[in-house]
Parts: sequence; structure tokens; C-alpha cells
Amino acid sequence: ENREAMLSSKSNRLTEALEEANKLFDGVCHAREAALDAQFLVIASNIGKEKANELHLEMSAFDSTAFAEDLLTFMGINRTEVEETDDSEDAPGGFLPSDAWQTMGEEATKYLRRAPTFHYMMGSFKSEPPVPKQRIERQRKANRGKAERAMPAQLKKMEESHQEATEKEVERILRILQTHFENDPNTPISFFDFVIDPNSFAHTVENMFHVSFLIRDGLAKIKLDEDGLPIIEPTKPSGRREEDSRAGARNQVVISLDQREWK
Amino acid sequence: QVSELVQFLLVKDQKKIPIKRADMLKNVIGSGIPYSEVINRAGRTLQQVFGLQLVEIDRKRHTYILINNLPRAEGQYLCRDKEKEKMGLLLVILSFIFMKGNSVRDGALWEFLNLLRVYPGKQHRVFGDVRKLLTEEFTRQKYLEITPIPLTDPPEFNYQWGPRAENETSKKDVLNFVAKIQGKDPTFWASQYSEAEA
Repeated sequence: ENREAMLSSKSNRLTEALEEANKLFDGVCHAREAALDAQFLVIASNIGKEKANELHLEMSAFDSTAFAEDLLTFMGINRTEVEETDDSEDAPGGFLPSDAWQTMGEEATKYLRRAPTFHYMMGSFKSEPPVPKQRIERQRKANRGKAERAMPAQLKKMEESHQEATEKEVERILRILQTHFENDPNTPISFFDFVIDPNSFAHTVENMFHVSFLIRDGLAKIKLDEDGLPIIEPTKPSGRREEDSRAGARNQVVISLDQREWK
Repeated sequence: QVSELVQFLLVKDQKKIPIKRADMLKNVIGSGIPYSEVINRAGRTLQQVFGLQLVEIDRKRHTYILINNLPRAEGQYLCRDKEKEKMGLLLVILSFIFMKGNSVRDGALWEFLNLLRVYPGKQHRVFGDVRKLLTEEFTRQKYLEITPIPLTDPPEFNYQWGPRAENETSKKDVLNFVAKIQGKDPTFWASQYSEAEA
């Protein structure tokens, strides 16, 4: 009670209170009262300590309000503008910029001898101290194992899709060839007409690539017509069996096509 | 062993929480050279290679911190922004505590911080829960020492400099800071000045 009043340097209240406590103690005969007395003494001594503290600085009073104002100035407060925000943090008195504490921090580093924190440049697996060395190696091995396991799984997926794509393409081309022949059974298509894409050399090459699969599997055949130009037609299912039984029926042909020719 | 201890200390220092000797012994120092020798050598390496000083801040509990022993360099200090901002707040608090006689009540401290738009009950745009920052982070890092005042209800606390603050800065440095901010000569505050020069 009345702590502030007792703290005031001009007051003798503390001394008076102590004197009163002394007198009261003479009348004490119960343990509980003695305890209260002890409590009082503790509080009194604390107040005494604070008073002593304040005495010390009576010579060089420190104006904390002025200090706060100067700090705000240093942090770049704008006192002319009062921002209209919901944020009641911007109390009347000015607008504090968002980098205010950055500015303060920059200055603070000049007065605090703080050791820069140590971090691995490339990062580590776990943010644990590397203690002891064996533990690091074990961690690294474990991580590497996991990485390798992930790899084959990924590669397999890629290869599968590759194959699928090719097969699909080949099938598609076969169907185009067959459809054409359904409509017009006796007119084989000129090979070049079939594979060449007038707009893309690369696509032309791709087409030839896919057609070669058909030939290899015996699903289509290439013959030379009366002009010596290759023509392509799908093989009839029966015809295929016959050709298979004839050894050496298949011939290898190398076709070269460069961009100039293609054009 | 010495280099392992050096590495251990550098990493442990990241959080700025004092390092216990027991942890050093448990994790790094094995048998062979007596541990005091290993610690000494590690300290020498830290000083010579990194310019950092290994300081025992508690002789009884054997806890250590790393501080920067290099002379102030020109130019911008390289550290993360969040860290810098906290250091700004810390220096302001340490200054207030010193100028007010090395010990302040939490009520008085918050009254002062309120003037800087920092409130105990309100989330701060930069610092978040400031009360937590002071009572937990700064305390654990030994920048501040907070002691309860007995028989106060509701409980009140005293704020003083912690051992890390005492090692990383000085009363003289802090007085110079205050003087710079207020555009006065440090001798303006006679008793603080004589205490800082002592």
C-alpha cells in the first residue's frame, strides 16, 4: 500500500512505518502476527532499496520521455503526417516508417559485439550441430540411399511413356494406311506422299521412323512401282504368314533424305 | 577433437543460448587430452581464425557464450534483418535500464516502450509478442535478467542486464549511444558517466 508515496524521496513515511512496526511487535504473542511482521519487513526493505536507487540518480536525472522522442526521430518518424489508418499503433504524434526498427538495428550493431551466426552456405541435411562426425556420415548415407531409390522409379516412368508413345503412333499410322486402302483397295499410296509432311522436316523423319516399324513387323510393305518410286500398302493378314515362312523375304532398305531433297 | 569442438560451438551458438560445458563434453570431447585443455585450444582457434571470444559467463554452472572480438568494421553489418531489428530493440532496453540505475521495474519499462509504440499486450508489426520476446528469448539468451519482486500482487519483476549483455557491450558504449541519440555529451549525465568510466 502507498508504495509510491513511500518512494517519494521527500517522505519519511518509510521510517515512520518501520517505527510503528517496531512498536507493534512488542505486543505480538501469536506466530501469525510474527509472520505478518516478517512480511512487512521484506516489503519495507525492498522499498528501502528502491529509494536508495533513486537517490543515486537524483544528481543525473534521466528524462526517458525525451529519450523516447529522440529515438523516434532517429528512426525516421514523420511528425507532420498523421496517417489515417485503423491501426491504433500509429498514435497521434506521427507516422513511424516500416523500416524504423531496421534503422535502429543498424545503429545497434555498432554497440553490440555479437558473434555472427555460423551457417553452412550450401545448407545441411538437418539443422542439428554436426556432432559427432560419424553421425553426419550416417545421415548422409541414409539420404543418398533415398535419393537413389527415387531415381530409378522416375526413369522407368519416362521410358515407359516413351515406348507407349511410339507404339501409339505406329498404330495410328497403320490405321490411316488401312483406312485409305479400305476406301481404295487397289491403289497403293506413294511412300513419299504418305510420309512427307510439307510443313515439317522433323515430322517427316518421324513419320518415316514410325513406318519402318510397320515394315519391320510385316504389317505393311513397300514395293517399287513402274516408275521406280516406292509405294506402301498394308499387308493382308494371310499374306503376312506366307511371307514369314519364306526365308530372306525381307529386305533392308536404307532411305536417305536430307532437308534439301525434302524441300 | 579441438576442431570438432570449434564446429560444435559455432553451430550451437546460432540460437545464442549459452552452451553448457556438460553438452560439450557429452558430444565432442572424448578421452585423451583433459577437457580443460581442449576447451582452451578451441577458444584460441576461435579467436585466431574467427575473431570470436569464448567466454564463461557462469563459473558455477559452467556455461559459455561466443562474442565478437573484432574491431568495428566500416560498412553494413551482415546479418539477417529480423536479427538486426531485435538488436535495435535490445539496445534501447539496455540503455533505459542503465540510465535508470541498472535496474528497472517492468511497469516502468513498459511505460517507456509504449512511447515507442511497443506494447506488452499487443502484437507488434515487427516483433510480434514483445513480452514473450523479452521474458523468453532475451532472457534465455542471457541478454536480460528478470527477477520477481517478492510479495507483489499482481507479481512484478525487476529487469537488469544479463551476463551476455555485459560481455557484448559496456556501460560506456551504451552511454555513448544515448548521448548520440540525444545530441549531448556523455558527461551530461554525471553519475552515469562516472559509473561507465569506472
